[in-house]
Amino acid sequence: MDFIQTVFTSFVSLIPVTLAQSLILAFVVLGIMIPFRTLNFPDLTSEGAFPLGGCVCGVLLASGASPLTAIAVAIIAGFLAGCCTAFIHLRFRIHTLLAGILLMTMLYSINLRIMGKSNLSVFGAPTVFDWAPFVQPGFPVAKIIVAGLIGAIVFILLNMFFKTEKGTAIRAVGANPDMAEAQGINVWVATIGGVGLASAFSATSGALMVQSQGFADVNMGLGILINGLAALMIGEAIVGKQTVLRQLAAPFVGAVVYYQLVSFCLAAGMPPPDLKLATGLFVLAMLALPSLRRSRGPAQARETIRE
Amino acid sequence: MLEIRSARKVFYKGQADEKVALDGLNLKLATGEFGVVIGSNGAGKSSMLNAISGALVLDSGQVLINGDDVTDMPVHKRAIRLARVFQDPMKGTAASMTVAENMLLADLRSKKRTLRQGLNATRLATYKERLELLGLGLENRLDTRVELLSGGQRQSLSLIMAVGGSPDLLLLDEHTAALDPRTADIVMKATVRAVEALKLTTLMVTHNMQHAVDFGHSVIMLDAGKLRLEISGEEKAKVTVVDLIGHFSVKTDRMLLAS
Repeated sequence: MDFIQTVFTSFVSLIPVTLAQSLILAFVVLGIMIPFRTLNFPDLTSEGAFPLGGCVCGVLLASGASPLTAIAVAIIAGFLAGCCTAFIHLRFRIHTLLAGILLMTMLYSINLRIMGKSNLSVFGAPTVFDWAPFVQPGFPVAKIIVAGLIGAIVFILLNMFFKTEKGTAIRAVGANPDMAEAQGINVWVATIGGVGLASAFSATSGALMVQSQGFADVNMGLGILINGLAALMIGEAIVGKQTVLRQLAAPFVGAVVYYQLVSFCLAAGMPPPDLKLATGLFVLAMLALPSLRRSRGPAQARETIRE
Repeated sequence: MLEIRSARKVFYKGQADEKVALDGLNLKLATGEFGVVIGSNGAGKSSMLNAISGALVLDSGQVLINGDDVTDMPVHKRAIRLARVFQDPMKGTAASMTVAENMLLADLRSKKRTLRQGLNATRLATYKERLELLGLGLENRLDTRVELLSGGQRQSLSLIMAVGGSPDLLLLDEHTAALDPRTADIVMKATVRAVEALKLTTLMVTHNMQHAVDFGHSVIMLDAGKLRLEISGEEKAKVTVVDLIGHFSVKTDRMLLAS
């Protein structure tokens, strides 16, 4: 009884901090979801774009730039990184995953070059979280308000965008590229723009994370992808993915729930080194579930074409 | 109007299994003409359609639509002028999107896509009206994802999508071959109705000799990447299935059975 009491208290005391963190990381999950689900382009760039955004933001903050400028430049850098991945895939017909690995490997060197060293403290520099209304800056509540607000705006804008004429065209490229092309849609522009946009979100997340934690590190992206995937899977299991609205809500809901789960596991005494193994196994299980279900039950009815 | 000038395409050039798909093919289709293309397997029918749509880049020769040279245009640019219905019902529609969204994509084929809302009330009403013509009940399933429709329904949707914007050229690539006889009949009837009502310049590839006899203003027969025979006007009105089969260099049972 005592044990449960301790676990519960430490978990509850961590909820605000974890919530702030998860709202910031929700943008990476969004950056993973957009290529994966709407463009059918499994993309690994976020593992490089997240620290890229962080490093760019860190260097700019250290040189005295305003936190908004730092985020804006990080967004542009992330967008360009995503464009490169998509271009490598389209132009040289390299698999999307390999293109992403190439980019994230090269970005590691670039990130080191940008910072000049492996980590950079920007503690005390102004951040966007200082502008939170009604609350004292520096507390998790300020971060929750600012990150939540940005998240809500992005969510509403994206939900509107994917229902416009241009947005529908981008979704068509993911659903059936040949058909999209036959309907006059430029697949190259849609893919490069879409993956670029996704990486821009990953970079935004990195920039916000640096402002939140007060330092930038080239290794801050390590394992971010698998965490993001796990969050996405949870989100999709909770809200579904049948409509644009649900698909867009999944990253946000998933991020919040996933990081609370992680926090709970740690509070319950799970050794931190085991975390990645557990996350990996979880993602594997979520991805394997549909095929496991199929082999057990009766064979699914499939639509066939009659000759 | 469609014009193909001495189109040539060789696959696996310089290798042992070199294959001449199009061998100096010339073809002319007047505005409003409905041409039916026949020919045995490997005659170059699909290569010709792909060359017209832009999916296949020619080694030499030209493709002109309404007098404009489109030879160097990519698929998505040519889509402004032409629409295509594929043999495979899965190919012509976006499976994970709804019927209405598919209609929207086709609707915007030759227009500029803006940042305005895609599906508005006016558009939905128009799509409903267009789908009603089919008599398949698709007008009540605008929010259904296309993957839940049957092959025949999907192909009918593809057809409505293709003829929607009155394209300069309509390409039909054995579009009833994958359907059961009754559905094939529905789709074929809808095709003829649309082509006649909108006076579309149409090129239809088929293996069904009866269709070649019954429909279209002219029959075009391809053989080994060349135009072998063109029957039009008076002669086309009198032609029979037996006549057509007589022109095939290789006769297969499938041809006779399909008729």
